[in-house]
Amino acid sequence: MSKTVAIIKNENQAKEIIDLIDAYILPLENLSINYHHTFSLKQIEKLTKLNKEIFVCVNKNIHNNELNQLEKNLVELSKLNIKGIIYYDIAVLNIIKKLNLNINLVWAQEHLTTNYKTVNYWYKNGANYAYLSSELTKREIDEIKNNTKAKLFVNIFGYIPMFTSRRNLVDNYINTFNLINQTKQNTIYKEGNSYPINDTNIGTTVYSNYILNAAEEDFSNIDYLVFNSDLIDEQEFKNVLKNYKNKEKNKFPKETGFLYKETIYKVK
Amino acid sequence: MKKPELLAPAGDLERLKIALLYGADAVYLGSSFNLRANADNFSLEEIKQGVEIAHSLNKKVYITVNIAMHNKEVEKIKDYLIKLDKINVDAIIVSDPAIIEIAKENTNLSIHLSTQASTLNKSAAEFWKNQGVERIVLARECTKEDIKDIKENVDIELEVFIHGAMCASYSGRCVLSNFLTNRDSNRGGCSQICRWDFKLYDKDKLLAGDKPFTFCTKDLSLARYIKDLTDIKVDSLKIEGRMRSIYYIATIVKTYRKIIDEYCNNKENYKYNLEYEEVLRKCANRDSIPQFFDHKFGKDRQYYNGRVEVTNQDFIGLVLKYDEKTKLAKIEQRNHFKINDKVQIFGPNEEFNLNLEEIYDEDMNKIEVVRHPKQIVYIKVPKPVETGWMMKCVDKQ
Repeated sequence: MSKTVAIIKNENQAKEIIDLIDAYILPLENLSINYHHTFSLKQIEKLTKLNKEIFVCVNKNIHNNELNQLEKNLVELSKLNIKGIIYYDIAVLNIIKKLNLNINLVWAQEHLTTNYKTVNYWYKNGANYAYLSSELTKREIDEIKNNTKAKLFVNIFGYIPMFTSRRNLVDNYINTFNLINQTKQNTIYKEGNSYPINDTNIGTTVYSNYILNAAEEDFSNIDYLVFNSDLIDEQEFKNVLKNYKNKEKNKFPKETGFLYKETIYKVK
Repeated sequence: MKKPELLAPAGDLERLKIALLYGADAVYLGSSFNLRANADNFSLEEIKQGVEIAHSLNKKVYITVNIAMHNKEVEKIKDYLIKLDKINVDAIIVSDPAIIEIAKENTNLSIHLSTQASTLNKSAAEFWKNQGVERIVLARECTKEDIKDIKENVDIELEVFIHGAMCASYSGRCVLSNFLTNRDSNRGGCSQICRWDFKLYDKDKLLAGDKPFTFCTKDLSLARYIKDLTDIKVDSLKIEGRMRSIYYIATIVKTYRKIIDEYCNNKENYKYNLEYEEVLRKCANRDSIPQFFDHKFGKDRQYYNGRVEVTNQDFIGLVLKYDEKTKLAKIEQRNHFKINDKVQIFGPNEEFNLNLEEIYDEDMNKIEVVRHPKQIVYIKVPKPVETGWMMKCVDKQ
């Protein structure tokens, strides 16, 4: 039986949806990327009192001068009642192993978590969980499940980050041409499609032009199904979770992303 | 003092030979399972030839095997790695750690970790060293201080990109190509969406500058920091561009060869020659800057010229042969040239200017203009030149 996981924005939202989910994903302040809302260690500690599984997302590329900050945060997190840490940079795994911290690891290299052999490689190196790429087909996901002992996370609802940069790409443009970015709720537009773009002090993220909505697909073999509330109205998000729990269709159009659409890489 | 390796791209055998001729210590190239799926990649037979050529010159060949595998590649990769091992390549450049594991279990291949793995810190570097990786190609977002700190704290070879195009994203963290064109960027299908123009909105309001919004960045050049990288003891200096022309490869490799040799051969009296920057800039026809190395990655590092770059037509001919008796050089045309043009002929260690006074066609008839691509002609050259030397236009009449 799959567990329902929500990537949330704030403490109130956590309480609002508590009966609809099994676990939360909380992006860690300053050390996570691709989310509009993050949580401090204090806020995370508070949320552990809700007695739900908590996975803390530490998915930023770690620059050399951030290692001390990372280590301090990992030590603090290991003292909290959290289920695991979602990581991108290998420094997270290396520090946890070196310090022998008692904490589960979720290998989540976003677009690189794409085959069972590499899932198993990280499993052997201490990551008992893997958070699969959104660019996989359903068949590939099932194959991975059949060939690994690692527990799997799969995105089934929400915007998908498709580009992450250290550069401040919106600010650079604004500053080059002396423009005013009043609301900072930015999108880029091309050929009929709008893509949300978010520029913060740690870099820029661009998101898919659609909300992935694969809640009706059969993922009963997958351990954790992720609903991402980033950029989604909180009430509408709650309704999606309710619909899911009641096995009903939600109001968003069905969008299966790459689940039935294989990408190509050689064009000639 | 130990010279860092100068590592150049090789898109095919011709470019491999040119890179080695003009001073590269090693070349990297791809066949299968690499991030240039749509380039003219090498066959295994061509890799074998390339390795033999390089080894005969006491130089090295590294093979990029840097895709993020999907399940179907997992089943095929082992045989390929075994074949590479038999060909005696000097290392494979890998980003997917499952390939490291398969290579370790089945071959004696040396492993270099690709920049796709985005190694930015000494803790990650330490992990990879313990996994048997011999060299790390650092992330292009590393500063000088990052590189120095990693080198001082982890006993592993470091390779640093010094010249060429940059990803706008952290390497491996961009699937714009997958979403917008259904081509998988992490398996070699990147369609360079970062160079497309977009309209940028602030809610409903169009933010329109004089040029359209793009992710595109200027190119990288660390020419003026070769001294610093050498002092830090970086092991290998890498030039990007497996799809670039022989003229580009020759010019860039030759320029960096000079810089490395000038510094390493006479450290006390070394003075950076600013003219090299003009040579590098002119060759690529794009601005190049130090990017993250000197901590500045603000607005001046972006490239808002759209896709209107003018093709460089300086390269006009390739020397195929020279006859000392007749003093005629056999030239293969690469761009239009004619009688009385002022040209420069250059080889790996020499260059001189020449007025084109006599041009002959293949039947030794005098001609005025060389118009046709790859046309074979003969020109009078008073000094000996060699196969692989090039001719560029200095002043067209």
